[in-house]
Amino acid sequence: MASLITASLIQTRSGSVDGLKASGGWMGKEKAKVVGVKAATTMGGGGGGRGGAKYKGTQMREKKLTKMIEEKVKEAKQVCEGDERSDECKVAWDEVEEVSQAKAHLRLKLLHKQDPLESFCQDNPDTDECLIYED
Amino acid sequence: MAICTFYTVQSLNSISTPTNTHLGFHQKQLLFYSTSKKSSRRQSTTATITCSAENKTVVIGLAADSGCGKSTFMRRLTSVFGGAAEPPKGGNPDSNTLISDMTTVICLDDYHSLDRTGRKKKGVTALDPRANNFDLMYEQVKALKSGIAVEKPIYNHVTGLLDPPELTKPPKILVIEGLHPMYDERVRDLLDFSIYLDISNEVKFAWKIQRDMAERGHSLESIKASIEARKPDFDAYIDPQKQYADAVIEVLPTQLIPDDNEGKVLRVRLIMKEGVKYFNPVYLFDEGSTIGWIPCGRKLTCSYPGIKFSYSPDTYYGNEVSVLEMDGQFDRLDELIYVESHLSNISTKFYGEVTQQMLKHADFPGSNNGTGLFQTIVGLKIRDLYEQLIASKVGAPLEATRS
Repeated sequence: MASLITASLIQTRSGSVDGLKASGGWMGKEKAKVVGVKAATTMGGGGGGRGGAKYKGTQMREKKLTKMIEEKVKEAKQVCEGDERSDECKVAWDEVEEVSQAKAHLRLKLLHKQDPLESFCQDNPDTDECLIYED
Repeated sequence: MAICTFYTVQSLNSISTPTNTHLGFHQKQLLFYSTSKKSSRRQSTTATITCSAENKTVVIGLAADSGCGKSTFMRRLTSVFGGAAEPPKGGNPDSNTLISDMTTVICLDDYHSLDRTGRKKKGVTALDPRANNFDLMYEQVKALKSGIAVEKPIYNHVTGLLDPPELTKPPKILVIEGLHPMYDERVRDLLDFSIYLDISNEVKFAWKIQRDMAERGHSLESIKASIEARKPDFDAYIDPQKQYADAVIEVLPTQLIPDDNEGKVLRVRLIMKEGVKYFNPVYLFDEGSTIGWIPCGRKLTCSYPGIKFSYSPDTYYGNEVSVLEMDGQFDRLDELIYVESHLSNISTKFYGEVTQQMLKHADFPGSNNGTGLFQTIVGLKIRDLYEQLIASKVGAPLEATRS
């Protein structure tokens, strides 16, 4: 099963657009939304209206989560080399899952143009975090 | 909405204070005082009626492993009640809570007793009960259910730390979502309805690939390893909650496509417990019978692989259940309407409501298959349960006793 899934996704690796279209659930008519996803992943957060981070603080958070995923995956691989069934190994992969979920959560919010700092930045527009991220 | 409790106190021209106080917003007291003017040995009777609006919150538990608040189920559910659920304004931007007019959704990760560092030190995953404070979870859910606001902790998923608490007010409908809503017996007893989202391993793998493959750090191997490593704790602590759920939504790969490995088409089963108060399971054609149904034919043309329904009674972990199953996908609006018109006990308020809700969120994942359909239907059933629960409390007759 794994190999077939790889085959169908490898071609779409550069943008998760087709990956999402192929998922069990999108009525293929929603092309507008699909463009938004592409913007979010390829532009890496630029452009507030197209599914990217609107505020600098959010953009930084996105970058941080991406980095954390990379680091924690590396760490988990290292820790599990010794004993795959150790507690340390379980915890390491659980951390990977936690951070992956958080990143996906953020991505989804941005896709729906709900920057998590929106409310905070309305009240505190002059903070560094609330600089509007321009294209 | 008012919930009124009735006390009678017999006394001679005096009014005694009720022994219970009701905590909550909007309290009103009505006093009826009548005395017999004739001199007699009969005592006068005072009836005191205390009405508290919004005294009781309806609590729904949702067990899911997809993280909090972003789950599509949550969004569909809050949509059924009207409005979109949003994070609390002006608070911690990393709050997991979602609030709409009628509902508040709490993420149970907020009850972690150990933060990320603490869990690493102790060698426990977030799935492990030892990482969670069930005493606090119970106290606060109980308080909210009784109409008392609480200062609820916040678990920050970005930093992995426990942030200062946020004030959480009792809503009309409280949804507690996370890994352990039904783990602790005391919390379980507070739930008016519970749902377990049961994703099979193959589908879980496919979904996590879709979710994570675009991330630089991930590969097929890392995604697989992460699922495998979490599986023992998942099977030990999370999975057993299924037996307590009033409704289980089970998501499996399709049976319509031989040797399908892509996990695009899904087979979804809605397993509904029988005998749950205010919850009448959805059925096809006739309750308690067994039926298989393929809607595609002369009236309806479907594209490959089509749609297949079945309905039957069954037992699930020792409970009597009814199972409604859908395999396949919807391609067009008229397929959805056609199917909706043949389902019974779906608790819609008007013909086509299910279809309307599905269309409203056509961009949500699962909108063309059983996951979206059953999540929407469960949302409507919860609305129905809520309305029945509230009506049952107000409906108690209020009568002063005769003196």
